[in-house]
Amino acid sequence: MKKWLGPIALCSVLAVITHAAIVYYAPSFIMARAMTMLEKRDTPLHGFSRVPRMTPQTQSVVRASPDLTYAACRFDLAQAPNGIRVTMAAYDSYSSLSFFDARTNNFLTVRGDGEQRQVTLLPPHASGAGAIVAPSDTGIILIRRLAPTDDAYAKVVELAANDSCEAL
Amino acid sequence: MKRILTYLLFAVIGIGIGGYSALSMAGLLPDNQRMGGSVEVDGWFGNLDTGSEDASPYFRARLARTGLLALANSEAIYFSRVMDDSGQPFTENCTYRISGGPMPAGWWSVTLYNADNFLPDNTDGALSFDATKAGDGPWQAVIARQMPADDANWISSKASGNFDLTFRLYVPDEGVVDKPAKYITAPSVERLNCTGETP
Repeated sequence: MKKWLGPIALCSVLAVITHAAIVYYAPSFIMARAMTMLEKRDTPLHGFSRVPRMTPQTQSVVRASPDLTYAACRFDLAQAPNGIRVTMAAYDSYSSLSFFDARTNNFLTVRGDGEQRQVTLLPPHASGAGAIVAPSDTGIILIRRLAPTDDAYAKVVELAANDSCEAL
Repeated sequence: MKRILTYLLFAVIGIGIGGYSALSMAGLLPDNQRMGGSVEVDGWFGNLDTGSEDASPYFRARLARTGLLALANSEAIYFSRVMDDSGQPFTENCTYRISGGPMPAGWWSVTLYNADNFLPDNTDGALSFDATKAGDGPWQAVIARQMPADDANWISSKASGNFDLTFRLYVPDEGVVDKPAKYITAPSVERLNCTGETP
């Protein structure tokens, strides 16, 4: 019996470590894959790419809403040490500007409420008055706008030209 | 040599057990991709830590797979359900009536997804029903493979297999996040009839 104690202990330790590692790293892994996928679909670094009207044929992420339009910006603050400035143009229906870190946390959401919104995002450990410090270097910024009809979508396409996501 | 092989075998078993249990508990196995959640409101399940640093590691991992880029609960809350009011799994072989009333949020919607968490592959342009169509009073819509003959509100289940529904509430009213069951009367989903045939 004694000769099995070592192998059983090794088995148990590796089981716990593997379990914890997978659960801990899964969000980062999936987020990294999503960022790679966005890059392959021509979503620029520090620039918004408007997603086509959401349909079964155009969807690229799970559980997207067909009633909303999305614009995505990838950020990498290691390549923008002075931060990035994000602007969401005014829209007269629901709109929001949301920021997700490398572990999928939604660390900031700014609602439009009919007004233009602007946020300056700084690298982790930086500081600046009126700016938001990101929890991680990389992440995704998403603009959502309610546009359940073709007319509303056409309106979003027009005003989204004034959205911006730029390195400082 | 035999001793080394024994350790190697147990190491592989340990990694296998740890990996499988993690994938299973976090809902990352291929046959377990539903969104789910621990908060129930009228048969709909959600987790109000969605998108938050407060989310448990398991829910965070599950959500990364089934609801990536979901908003934190101050902006939106999400519920889903996989069964009708009688407890039967949703299937495109059946027709359902979903009904409700005003919701405590700035905007809400009900959207149909297939088992892979994507919009089902059809061109009906009718995969959701939302507050802009519901008006201010009671509302109802039919969930079916084909558009209802009476021109009723319609959510298409064509090519969805065993689908589920996601109920979104954007800009929830004050108090909803803390006591969802008190403030939300979630839509009911009644099964009307089934064909019993796989398309």
